[in-house]
Amino acid sequence: MLDSRPANRGSSSGFLITAIVLGVLSAGWVGYLLKTPFSGFLPEAALPADQIDALFKLLAGMGGVVLIYVLGYLLYFCFIFRRRASDPVDAVGLHTHDSVSLEVAFWVVPMIMVVVISVFSVQIWQGLQTSPGNALTVEAIGHQFGYDFRYPGLWDSVHQELHLPVGQPVTVKITSSDVIHGFWIPEIRLKADMVPGLINTLRFTPTRVGSYTIVCTEYCGVLHGAMGVPGTAQSGRLVIEPVSDFKKWLTAQSKAQGPAPAAAPAVPAGKSAAAGPGSAPVAVAPGDAATGKALFGQKCSACHSVGTFDQKIVGPGLGHLLNDPAHPALVTGEKAAPVAIVHILQKGYNGPLGMMPSQTQNAISDKDIANLTAYLVSLSK
Amino acid sequence: MAVAAHPAASHHDHIHPAPTGFVQKYIFSLDHKVIGIQYFITTFLFFCIAGLLAEVIRVQLLSPDSHFVSNTTYNEVYTMHGSMMVWMVIIPMLTGGFGNFAMPLMIGARDVAFPWLNMISFWIFPVSGLLLLTSFLVGAPEAGWTEYPPISLQGPPGTSLWCVAIFLVGISSTLTGINFLVTIWKMRAPGMTLTRMPIFVWAQMSTAMLSMVATTALAGALAALFIERTFGVPFYDPTKGGSPILWQHMFWFYSHPAVYIMILPAFGIVSEIIPTFSRRPLFGYKAVAFSSLAIALVGFMVWAHHMFTSGMVPWLQLPFMILTYLVAVPTGVKVLAWISTLWGGKVSFTPPMLFALGLIALFTIGGVTGMFLAAVPADLHEHGTYFVVAHFHYVLFGGSVFGLYAGMYYWWPKMTGRLMNNNLALWHFWTTFIGFNATFLPMHWVGLMGMPRRVPVYDPQFQTLNVIASIGSFVLAASTLFFFINVFWSLTRGPKASTNPWGARTLEWMIPSPPPYYNFKKIPSVTALPYNFTEPLPYVGGELERPSPSARFVGEGA
Repeated sequence: MLDSRPANRGSSSGFLITAIVLGVLSAGWVGYLLKTPFSGFLPEAALPADQIDALFKLLAGMGGVVLIYVLGYLLYFCFIFRRRASDPVDAVGLHTHDSVSLEVAFWVVPMIMVVVISVFSVQIWQGLQTSPGNALTVEAIGHQFGYDFRYPGLWDSVHQELHLPVGQPVTVKITSSDVIHGFWIPEIRLKADMVPGLINTLRFTPTRVGSYTIVCTEYCGVLHGAMGVPGTAQSGRLVIEPVSDFKKWLTAQSKAQGPAPAAAPAVPAGKSAAAGPGSAPVAVAPGDAATGKALFGQKCSACHSVGTFDQKIVGPGLGHLLNDPAHPALVTGEKAAPVAIVHILQKGYNGPLGMMPSQTQNAISDKDIANLTAYLVSLSK
Repeated sequence: MAVAAHPAASHHDHIHPAPTGFVQKYIFSLDHKVIGIQYFITTFLFFCIAGLLAEVIRVQLLSPDSHFVSNTTYNEVYTMHGSMMVWMVIIPMLTGGFGNFAMPLMIGARDVAFPWLNMISFWIFPVSGLLLLTSFLVGAPEAGWTEYPPISLQGPPGTSLWCVAIFLVGISSTLTGINFLVTIWKMRAPGMTLTRMPIFVWAQMSTAMLSMVATTALAGALAALFIERTFGVPFYDPTKGGSPILWQHMFWFYSHPAVYIMILPAFGIVSEIIPTFSRRPLFGYKAVAFSSLAIALVGFMVWAHHMFTSGMVPWLQLPFMILTYLVAVPTGVKVLAWISTLWGGKVSFTPPMLFALGLIALFTIGGVTGMFLAAVPADLHEHGTYFVVAHFHYVLFGGSVFGLYAGMYYWWPKMTGRLMNNNLALWHFWTTFIGFNATFLPMHWVGLMGMPRRVPVYDPQFQTLNVIASIGSFVLAASTLFFFINVFWSLTRGPKASTNPWGARTLEWMIPSPPPYYNFKKIPSVTALPYNFTEPLPYVGGELERPSPSARFVGEGA
């Protein structure tokens, strides 16, 4: 680190010895890092965790060596150049001309370290951006105070527990239905903020079966703390399990949720756009668009316009639901299918776009739903 | 550098009459030295309050499921702790306090450029501080000092008071920035070219630029938050078409440069102290001076590194990451220059020197952990955890607070005309140093292992380290008592300070302690950099006291 060149009366050997001692300490530190897997401190439960730990090791290695030399020479200089009791009161230090090459080295050496760290960081960053093929896409929605997860093929969200099959690449679409929350699984070394109105993405491949705490890392209200403490009602769990167990769990969830309205379209993993207009094998009860229009005026128009999707009142505009490109492709394949309209009218909605009451809360009958659906479908024509 | 720095001589040859009344002298004073001391008194009061709030946090975290205070109170407490420490303590003390007291003296000026403006800047500050404190009466803000919407939109009424208070203190610091920049630019003594300015003045200049430009972004963000909370105009609420991320960009466009507002003056203080107590010129003067400007410049282009997990276009993470890494270069230059200044010196471990050396060590640790946080992939793990808390306390306490203690011990004799007690100061330093590390070192580990910030309860596996941190914080709180006892001791029975007790060479040490209200009877001319201990003092005229450049050390045992 420091240039060992300046020749000082009687201290250049001390300078070198210090350099060697600090070098040995540095080697010890780097050696310790190299032979210590970080998974011993905190398991690595998914694939990019090893990459992130590798970058962490590089930073810890370089940072540690910098600290050893800076603090080492700080202490050494303080000791060796201390004012001694025998020094006259007006003693001054050495007055030499500043060494230009040393000064240049002070700019260049940190610069080189910055370049090295940048190159490694960018490489690892690129690895995080690439999406492994055939990923399972799930949605994670934070709320005060807990997490909801939505799976392809499940109509309703699952609360607090995110189950994932081991070895299967996963894309988690992350958002919030109220305030900003954090979504962090320390064992995966990844987090993203759950921001209302925004969808963030995390990509990873679970590798280690187990149960892990999901920790909220953005202040979100009075129970924010409980959202990160295992065992509380507010905390989330990530359960990584063998594929067969995951399939069993998914089936059990599906059964527990009961039959989906008008039979949910089975959306294959990663193909959320499969349910295009008319392509879903779904029977939507026939309804009367004119009656639906009147009902829309009474029940819906306070929050929804019949303009484009972006023409928000409280909720989005519903004028061209089936063919508006602005309509978000939700993971459950709810885009652009009449059955999705039925579903939202029945179950309500709680997600990135806001909150909408359910059928019972809105006090509408099945017939009303059929009429409203007919009306909304007619608007798209 | 052929900058004509002469106007001061002709315009300020006459001395204004001294103020006579108590109010003009001590309350609505126009004297930069009095205003500086007013800042110190006010900031230390706020420092005690904000420090006690920190102790509430640490008592709560003694056990993983503590009920020392309610969750709501806990949220109020850490929000107010952070807000006060940043806006009511560190920034006003390092700029308003040290900048006011020392900077005009160091450039050979009789006052700042706009004394009335200076007085107004000061009086805005305690008003805003009190306004912030009154928010406790109506429900203090709870969402952390960053007050991210949407939750800050739903926050208690005190959140609006918080907006107003921070807005006001921002006006104060902007006005101070303008005032200082003009002062440094126009009022240097004849012959004091830019490259003959003491490093502390360079630091104040860089800081003034940062305050002037960055604070406006914060003011805009705060005004919008206040308007949205009060009148419902949706700037940030996503359900009404606002963007919560907008706040984050505007907030951090100010608050990252604010980090440098909080550290550059401390660097400046260290750059004065290290040569003085090593009896050597500062190594690489130009590099150290330029690095302040470089930090200020790059500091404007790194704000989004606070937002790697918030959601932005992914490729944008890369320039922010690399520019943040780049800050390490000028900062590293400073650290290496300080250490090189020690080399070949006659180092004496006076209290200001110990705190300056402590700053170098602790800030370097904080700088290294800063690299961990700048690295996007690593930050995805560390963001929002206690690792961040540990990091910024190493730079803000280990850096800024150690710097301001160093500056207090250094300029105290000049401010008061009295010396402090050396033994009490040594106790202060060592208890602070040990208490600080015991408090914040364990936080790195609990953060990496999974403990998030801003939580009143936590996973019981982290209890041992939290107890160590809490005990450390009690030591840290107690250590402050040594300082205040010392202040009291010095003011009541401290020996009189000579003109130049440290044998320093900058201009403020050439006039009596405390300086007369007009500072310099005649404005001296400057012929060289001040730091060359083997040369005669580089000042011509000015009726200076001209103490020997190797004045005796009364610091020891005094």
